[in-house]
Amino acid sequence: MADEELHVSDQDLLHAADGELPGGRTRRVRAHLAACWFCRTRLAELEATIADFVRVHRSTLDPQLPCAAGPRALLKSRLAHAATQSGVARWPKFLQFFFPRGSVAYVAVALLFLTMGSLPIIQHFALLSSSPLHPIESAAVPNRTLTPGATRPVSINDVCSIAHEEVVREVPAALRQQVLHEYGIAYARAQDYEIDFLIAPRLGGAEDIHNLWPEPYTLPTWNAHVKDALEEHLHQMVCQGSLDLRAAQRDISTDWIAAYKKYFHTERPLATSAAGEFDPADPAPENHGVISRARIDTAGQFVRPRRQIASYALAGT
Amino acid sequence: MLIPPRNFAAELSFPIPTPAAVSEKPCEIECEVISLFDQFRHPLLRYVLSFGLSVHDAEEVAQEVFLALFRHLQRGKSRRNLRGWIFRVAHNLALKQRAANKKLHAALDDDATVVQAKLDATPNPEEQMTSGQTLQRLRTVLRALPEQDRCCLALRAEGLRYREIAATLGISLGSVSFSLTRSLARLGSAEKGLRYGR
Repeated sequence: MADEELHVSDQDLLHAADGELPGGRTRRVRAHLAACWFCRTRLAELEATIADFVRVHRSTLDPQLPCAAGPRALLKSRLAHAATQSGVARWPKFLQFFFPRGSVAYVAVALLFLTMGSLPIIQHFALLSSSPLHPIESAAVPNRTLTPGATRPVSINDVCSIAHEEVVREVPAALRQQVLHEYGIAYARAQDYEIDFLIAPRLGGAEDIHNLWPEPYTLPTWNAHVKDALEEHLHQMVCQGSLDLRAAQRDISTDWIAAYKKYFHTERPLATSAAGEFDPADPAPENHGVISRARIDTAGQFVRPRRQIASYALAGT
Repeated sequence: MLIPPRNFAAELSFPIPTPAAVSEKPCEIECEVISLFDQFRHPLLRYVLSFGLSVHDAEEVAQEVFLALFRHLQRGKSRRNLRGWIFRVAHNLALKQRAANKKLHAALDDDATVVQAKLDATPNPEEQMTSGQTLQRLRTVLRALPEQDRCCLALRAEGLRYREIAATLGISLGSVSFSLTRSLARLGSAEKGLRYGR
């Protein structure tokens, strides 16, 4: 007890280290530390414990932190939406007469469309003549602000041990409708679109609106079937150990077309072989741009196309 | 484990704004919120992840925190100690999300493999080279600490002052001080025990 009175308490030592002591007491503690080796050693041990804790804290959590670009873009989009809504409420009545509430949203969509990348725009315009839908609906790549991609915590074992059919569940109707509404195509035709996962469930993708977008079946080149092939290929690479799961998730969510070109070493979608398997090494130009919709497995059995098994299609829309 | 999306911001039940309450231009507030997002996203995610939430849930909580912050600023409410405000909202939303996950896990049979994978995270090479055994021991002691102590440590590690921690957790300044002292003493004892082979 007498010893405790002679030295600085644990609490005061921590407060002094954290700069939480009042001025007068800080000076007293400093003066004591200057004279007492024992308390200086205790302070050094305390600092070492703090440093070890911070190292544990960081080393456990930092590797889990995902890239900020997608969430930042998503937040900007949400803030813009929130600002638009609150901004409309402040408009004077006479202005609301000339510019009804929805007009702000239309202008925002038009600006968004104008600022989108060149590839989707080219594909949008290519489809204008054949599709009665709005151009923004036909993007081969998702709008990154709406669909930055989302993952669920999985290990390599999880990804590789579970069959595709077990991972994939039908996207709930309410969520499908929410995605369509978000993209401004609430009344899309079922045969034209698939609500697809940007990061496939078999690659750890989450069933979340940030990971879902309406992917057109009808695009001539970069369509849903081509993306299927990429997903399958990346899954194989991950399970063979030739590709890191996080890298696969990052590449497919950043730009799946670029990822296809990168991993298949081609500028155009490859064709399937007679057995329906993609051969990344197949250079035959006559096969390019043709994707088979079903395949025969090694045992000679007919296998339904993966899309039908997954049943993401817009049934009921 | 697939968690249904939740609208946390709606649950915060802020009062409906009146035109008089809106004192700043939204674009200015948007920029400020984005700047705060850039500044605090990582500390916030680390804190929310320390509750055992998935990365996806943590990211969603972070989004809702900054949306709530936008509305808070838009209504011209107090700008005093925004860092403390951000962590307080994150703390509350993380607790809600964890409670919702527990309910869901109970209904859908917990994904034990994922939880186990998180707990048994293999140390990185740096840890193995330096003091892997000590860090592993600290992890074990940390898991055994009461939640309030862990929260105090995590918030202090993210740079919050004692008053901010007290406001975030809704406890007194004395409790924060006592909690930190006690936790560090336990961690220190564990280290000493390892050093002297006890």
